Amino acid sequence: MNELLAIALSGFRESRRNRVTVVVFLFAFVMIFATTFALELTVATFERVMTDVGLGVMSLIAVFLAIFLATGLLPREVERRTVYMVVTKPVGRSKFVVGRLLGNLVTLSFVMAIMAVLFVAQMAINHATLTQAHGIAIAGLFLEVIVLSAVGFMFASGSSQFVATVATVGIYFVGHLAPDLYRMANKTQNVALKWVGKAAYYVLPNLDRLDFKARATYAEPTTFSELGGSAVYAVGYACIAIVIACLVFERRDFK
Amino acid sequence: MTLAVRTEGLSKTYQLGFALRRSVRALQGLSLSIETGQVYGLLGPNGAGKSTTIKILLNLIKPTSGKAEIFGAAPQSPEVRRSIGFLPENPAPYEYLSGVEFVTYAAKLAGLSGAALRTRVDKVLDRVGLSRAGKLQIRRYSKGMVQRVSLAQALVAEPKLLVLDEPTSGLDVLGRQLIRDIIQEQRARGTTILFCSHIIPDVEALCDRVAVIIGGNLTKEGRVDELLARQDSAMEATIEGIAEAALEPVKASLQEVRVMGPRLLVRFPNEKQREVLQRVLETGGTITRLERTRFTLEELFLKTVKESKTLVGSDLT
Repeated sequence: MNELLAIALSGFRESRRNRVTVVVFLFAFVMIFATTFALELTVATFERVMTDVGLGVMSLIAVFLAIFLATGLLPREVERRTVYMVVTKPVGRSKFVVGRLLGNLVTLSFVMAIMAVLFVAQMAINHATLTQAHGIAIAGLFLEVIVLSAVGFMFASGSSQFVATVATVGIYFVGHLAPDLYRMANKTQNVALKWVGKAAYYVLPNLDRLDFKARATYAEPTTFSELGGSAVYAVGYACIAIVIACLVFERRDFK
Repeated sequence: MTLAVRTEGLSKTYQLGFALRRSVRALQGLSLSIETGQVYGLLGPNGAGKSTTIKILLNLIKPTSGKAEIFGAAPQSPEVRRSIGFLPENPAPYEYLSGVEFVTYAAKLAGLSGAALRTRVDKVLDRVGLSRAGKLQIRRYSKGMVQRVSLAQALVAEPKLLVLDEPTSGLDVLGRQLIRDIIQEQRARGTTILFCSHIIPDVEALCDRVAVIIGGNLTKEGRVDELLARQDSAMEATIEGIAEAALEPVKASLQEVRVMGPRLLVRFPNEKQREVLQRVLETGGTITRLERTRFTLEELFLKTVKESKTLVGSDLT
């Protein structure tokens, strides 16, 4: 446990010292700019635009950061051979992978928490109404970040950063189209396509299930049981991805 | 005497390329035994299989066939890794950490905690001469300091087996002396040391036994003094007062003739001593120096490589 904590905290320290948190300033800048712009252009839908832009930018930054951190970390450790020091110590390779993922999630939680505070402050300053739906949308975004981080680690455990990034970005887009994929698979007359479409729907992560941003924009309610179901789905999917990452990393040769 | 390291028929073939797969045989049936407390040197040209051997022992790569044991257990065992300290070739510590943070991190991964951890970290940093630079980020360290902090992380958990891959490469004279002193200290406390270096005089000075690996095969192995004693010694003489042409009748008996201004430096086998010296005296030459030359490990290594007739590097198939 001590080793796992040491690896996770070291990962967080690495992100902090490599100035990953600079993205928070980017978020603050975009938010201030977008709000000023929205105030000039809109009359009645100001709150919606603020919510849409705020959550949209937060999502973009969090997803970019999650993919960048998850797909770059393991290949960089192997390429720079920093991994030699860790895996020759009495720490299992799986523990290393899990510790590094936890470190990434600590970094992402930190960045997302600051972005959430800035978002809430911006809404409050402009007298916009904050609802439970805003909180649920941010929670959903965090679940999405967990899934993407685990998927990024899964691809990065056995390949280069480039391959892992391309694959994870692909999963991100396809994951948001999962319901459409299922609908198309149901409608097609081709049996093979139907099976392939349905198999892809069940195998790939359904990120649409974790996306509550539109509901926040239109102030539509989301029950906690619905959020709970999504959380179980996201954590379950992330666990499977990270188990695969560990199995691949355990078998890997560090030449 | 218990064995610290044992390998039996260890082989490794790398698969290279994606579409056009090629095989590279890096190791071919290597069997080695290293007793506890020994300083053991691995010698070989580039691509001979030294690093592959070390990586298999450290569970960084898996052998294609054969087996390796450290203190009687498989290298995958966490207990085994608890007893190993490793300094890789061209070490790459985490640059965003300071020296103290890096060694502390290594100590935590090795299972140390609390006051024992802090004491050990301070002690090893002091030993490698980095106690004053400990708070500086590693990205600001010179190459020698990186080598020192990496050695500190290898030593921090007081390992029973220390694996050093090219520990003195890129170091200045003081750095090399420090590494040599630390190896001697570790030997004195009973640590087994597996030492791999291209700086053969260091290996000769420090190692009890050596193995020469060429093309993935074990070509020579034994105690350093025994290996050198087995070689035929030569005689070396400095001669004045005659020209090189005067030695023409005994040329076949000479191993080397060098003209150094008015002097000749000649080298010949011990058994040809009478014949060569007699010729020098008969032609009016003066022998100003005569001594038995010591066969060095470097000469033995070069001779072994030449005799093996193996191309340097691994076997491509």
